[in-house]
Amino acid sequence: MASLYKKNPVDLLFSSITAIASFSVIVFIVGIFYVLLSESLPAISRFGVLNFITSTDWNPVRESFGAATNIYGTFITTTLSLLIAVPVAVGIAIFVTEIAPNFLKGPIGGAIELLAAIPSIIYGMWGFFTLSPIMSTYIEPALKNSLGKLPVLEILFRGTPMGIDLLTASIILSIMIIPFTASISRDAFNLTPAVVKESAYALGATRWEVVKNIVIPYSKLGVFGGVVLSLGRALGETMAVAFVLGNNHRITTSLLDAAATITVTLANEFTEADTDIYLSSLFYLALVLFVMSFVTLAIAKFFLLRAERKYSR
Amino acid sequence: MIETRTKRKIENIIALILCTLAALIGLFWLVFILADIVVHGIGAFKLSLLLEDPAPPGVEGGGLRNAFVGQLMITACAILIGVPLGVLGGTFLAEYARGRKIARFISILSDIMVSVPSIVIGTFIYAILVRPLGHFSGWAGAVALSIIMIPVVLRTTEDMLTLVPWTLREAAFALGAPYYKVIIQVVYRGAAAGIFTGILLSIARVAGETAPLLFTSFNNSFFSVDMNRPIASLTVSIFQYAMGPYDSWHAQAWAASLVVMIFILFITILGRVILKWRYGKR
Repeated sequence: MASLYKKNPVDLLFSSITAIASFSVIVFIVGIFYVLLSESLPAISRFGVLNFITSTDWNPVRESFGAATNIYGTFITTTLSLLIAVPVAVGIAIFVTEIAPNFLKGPIGGAIELLAAIPSIIYGMWGFFTLSPIMSTYIEPALKNSLGKLPVLEILFRGTPMGIDLLTASIILSIMIIPFTASISRDAFNLTPAVVKESAYALGATRWEVVKNIVIPYSKLGVFGGVVLSLGRALGETMAVAFVLGNNHRITTSLLDAAATITVTLANEFTEADTDIYLSSLFYLALVLFVMSFVTLAIAKFFLLRAERKYSR
Repeated sequence: MIETRTKRKIENIIALILCTLAALIGLFWLVFILADIVVHGIGAFKLSLLLEDPAPPGVEGGGLRNAFVGQLMITACAILIGVPLGVLGGTFLAEYARGRKIARFISILSDIMVSVPSIVIGTFIYAILVRPLGHFSGWAGAVALSIIMIPVVLRTTEDMLTLVPWTLREAAFALGAPYYKVIIQVVYRGAAAGIFTGILLSIARVAGETAPLLFTSFNNSFFSVDMNRPIASLTVSIFQYAMGPYDSWHAQAWAASLVVMIFILFITILGRVILKWRYGKR
């Protein structure tokens, strides 16, 4: 094959052009890392690495910047959204692959995937004008009066329910990542060999037992990859969260408090940064986010590839 | 014996009901969000939204003509940059480098890059295109969006070209055609519908992007078609108007959201239909 195109000069030209185009992906990834790193050097040399990540001080006036509040906000919203989304998404995948009648499988799967097509600004609008008032008038007071009365859980529900808080942001994020987890889980479930499932049915297993003992153990690598991929996507979600999280740089135990994530801080403060060290710290935040999401996505890809290899055998 | 059987049956029924509930929850959110946007959007939509430029803050009336035009220009320029690079890059992976380690490496990197936070790409473009030039510009926004498009187009092109049977290429080789002619005249034709779908889906992906435009194309309250200057976009205008204090702004944000959503859902569903019609799956 290689000898096929080296003889013809036009072919050499065309193959070089395509090669350059595909190498642009590498250039972008390396370029983003390099540019963010060099832009954040002033902040790195001033605040260090460990100190920047662990300091909760974010004060543009005193020019003292630490990322801990942002990283904490990102961590809480993504963890909470995964906790909400994963059971629902896996349930959807089980429903679409094992329970729904054939004529419903396609339409329901497609409808769930449409959730991924809705742009995040629309989720933000909806969250800000519709979900947030519902949260502050009905759901959050109800949570406060039930779970908030329990001895330990009480610290999660302190403060006045405003609807602009970690809980609302996490719920919106969870809706946004459901389609990713659900479609990858569905694809993984579909790869379970029919023979194995039929054998279990022949032994008298119920449908749930087949799912629990055959399908899920067989496809857990793929499902896990899907969950990590969703985590990677949730880390970088900006607009939907920017609407409903407020921009409050402090660490709070209450889910009913406003907070800040890395993305929200970038969206709100990037164009307002008036000093060099402020801007550099924001680039530093972007670098932290880029590294976090790149590593997460790489781990997800690793598991998905391993799953693929396992099933193709 | 009988007791364990009933217990197993009850467990089965409970699990099946929970999974059905999960599907209903997913559908509930979809219907809730779409219906909410449609109800608010239709109530707020006026023809002046498309035909007039923004009124001064606090003054009733006006529209978002500048943002519609700006959005179209930014997206069109992003397509002009992103689509050729993506299609050609995918061609390299599926044809000239097929089966090589480098093809696999770039393919995996692209998969990762599809999900890299778009706001990070915005900060990157700010550092290389906005600050050195000293001003926000439509071009910077277009480049940011094209960087998001490239991996999407590249991966679908690669997959679609791989689906074209190798024997088809051999038939063309046997007629004495050089490889580039085989690719352009045979392989591209065989995969045209698939590549087109990939382009459609990448457009749907970037048309709703807001975060990478915040610090690249920025915003502009006046009508402008100059890509060298800050230019308004629908998504950034929606953000600004929704967060603003005036009811008339909120109404326009809803109406603009409706337009953006209809456009994106239309393209997404069109892409799906083409895929199903051409490849008979999903």
